[in-house]
Amino acid sequence: MAQPLAVVESLSATSAEGVLLDTSAVVILLCAFACLGSKLFDRYVVYYGIQSIVLSFAAAVVAVHEREAGLWVLAALTFIIKGIGIPYGTRHFLIERFALKRDVALSTGLSSSLIFGAFLTAFAFLVIRPGTVPHALVAQAVVPISTAVILLGGLCMVVRRHTIAQLIGWLIIENGVFLGAIAIVATFPFIVEAGVFLDLVAAVLIMIAFVSGLARQVAEAAAPELRQLSE
Amino acid sequence: MIALAIIVMVLPLAPALAAALTPRARPLGAVAAASGAATLGVAIALAVDASRGRGVHALSGFLYLDSLSGFFVVTIALVVALASFGSGAYLRSEEERGELSPRQVRLYFIFFALFASMMLASFQTGNLGLLWVLIEASTLASCVLVGLEAKAVSLEAAWKYIIISSFGVTMALVGTLFLYYAASSLAGSPTEHLTWSYLFAHAGALSHQSLRLAFLLVLIGYGTKVGLAPMHTWLPDAHSEAPSPASAMLSAALLNTGMYAIIRFQALTGPAIGTRFAAHALLIFGFASVVVGTLFMVLRGNFKRMFAYSSIEQMGIIAIALGFGGTLGLYGALLQILTHAIAKAVLFLTSGDIVLRYRTRLIDEVRGVLSVTPLTGAALLLAALAVAGSPPFGLFLSELTIVRAGLARSSVVLVAALLVMLAVVFIALVGAAAAMALGGAPDRPTAGPAYGERSSRALAATPLLAGLAALLVLGIWIPGRLDTLIMHSIHAIT
Repeated sequence: MAQPLAVVESLSATSAEGVLLDTSAVVILLCAFACLGSKLFDRYVVYYGIQSIVLSFAAAVVAVHEREAGLWVLAALTFIIKGIGIPYGTRHFLIERFALKRDVALSTGLSSSLIFGAFLTAFAFLVIRPGTVPHALVAQAVVPISTAVILLGGLCMVVRRHTIAQLIGWLIIENGVFLGAIAIVATFPFIVEAGVFLDLVAAVLIMIAFVSGLARQVAEAAAPELRQLSE
Repeated sequence: MIALAIIVMVLPLAPALAAALTPRARPLGAVAAASGAATLGVAIALAVDASRGRGVHALSGFLYLDSLSGFFVVTIALVVALASFGSGAYLRSEEERGELSPRQVRLYFIFFALFASMMLASFQTGNLGLLWVLIEASTLASCVLVGLEAKAVSLEAAWKYIIISSFGVTMALVGTLFLYYAASSLAGSPTEHLTWSYLFAHAGALSHQSLRLAFLLVLIGYGTKVGLAPMHTWLPDAHSEAPSPASAMLSAALLNTGMYAIIRFQALTGPAIGTRFAAHALLIFGFASVVVGTLFMVLRGNFKRMFAYSSIEQMGIIAIALGFGGTLGLYGALLQILTHAIAKAVLFLTSGDIVLRYRTRLIDEVRGVLSVTPLTGAALLLAALAVAGSPPFGLFLSELTIVRAGLARSSVVLVAALLVMLAVVFIALVGAAAAMALGGAPDRPTAGPAYGERSSRALAATPLLAGLAALLVLGIWIPGRLDTLIMHSIHAIT
């Protein structure tokens, strides 16, 4: 096992930063659950926005601790683009434009998907044992929580068939990856992080274009109707 | 050499710049063909340099080129050149028929150029994080090409493609993070912890647990892009719905880009945790892909889907060859990557000619291509034979090498099963191609000649003839320079 990174060791759960990071992670997890438990398109977007804003706060906490200029920029970018830009864009270009209200394309009921989500969270905590991540981890909770957020995002994509819900599910997964990344590998080269961000923005723009194209064609862009290509 | 490396990334962007000036397919196609040919020329010069053992290591590893990069650059540049000629002809024909609006033509050339440039750039970075960024960027550019026709089906395929591969590639990012974490105990700087050459030099000291997890995540992540089963589900849709020259780029170039990333990560696992772990994982995914690809090829529906399933099967064979490992296995894998890329590009380009001529993608509705358009028909038959691994084409040689690698590793059962699959593929693919190419005149009238003008016909015929000639040469004789390049590439990763 590698030596734990300095950042990880020093951000113990008792330090102020450790507590803040842990708390942010919990709020991020709750936002993922809130998305999973909602049926309204408006809400998905709002919860995703809140989750991203909390994530930018978490990035700022690590930035303070690490004194990394790159992380500050990432925190600001997360706030502006993920917290405000993407939710606004999705709402403006998709939800309002096509007057989408209630997501009906669910393969699993809300309560059962929430229960399943709880199982996934427990699973994440079980698998990520203290042995697999650095000891004296931060914020004991950050790594298992970021794993849980990734799994919950995946669950969103699986139980929802509407293209917008799948888009939000993927974005939640992204947030989970980002949370894990800032917690474990805070010194990740900035230029790469910036590139990842750029890709994310490009992906969301293209996805919005596709969803609106589909929505125009199939009055309601529910994936069950996307059955023409099957073999 | 640094200059060459940069030129090879920038040259393919020429059509995108030209598209800012005009939306007409004729001048854009000419620019694309010229830039494709020029890119190939520069790439060959670069590969010749690389085969002499020279490399590039600049900008703290963000720009990095060794023999393996050189091999992939020349392979992909070849596909880009073939597809650029095909694009010129195909888009002109679609424009004349009013199938594509000026805006769509413009978008096509812009994203085709970005797609090519991003792929070529991804082989020339030593930073595994930047590699991820470039591969994701090339995926995004190709998504636009898949959804270009903006019909419900093509948007559906594009959506499936973007959402599944974004998810997969996100897993590869997690794998890259784990690799970075595995390197955290090394002395170097944070940037070096993501630089392939540094990691390779210190691979023995990487944390084993994290490295295992990193490789599996990367294999699943980039494997989604490569189309390894069971992550392949987006592939047949995307490859059959994209305009045919774009399908050629997807099948022959993009899949190999994902494979390149897997090869780089596989090389890192060897010194640390032994070769068995990665080899077993690759054999499992590779064999699953061969089985899935073969089974779906037996269905005779849409011929572009069939060619797409053939790509899944071929990528499976390459993964198996990487799993066999050793000089023989790696040689077979790299040769297969090159020969399959050429053969599949030709096959998809002929499929474009057939779609334009017959306005259908169903095998049973296409008859007598050989009598309607002799050149396309002949190219279809020959390319199908080549992809199926028949002598005297290059794939026969590479598959033979892979089988020998398997026997050298005494995996007799696996090799026997592989040979059975290859036989089934041969019957399915060549049977379908023969049914389309031979036979009497079509029952219903065809949609008129695929290409109106003489110059379009020439533009469409060039890549078919050039590709088949290259395949034939590679089946009979491997140029000394290429052999050196492949041997150096193997040396670079073992």
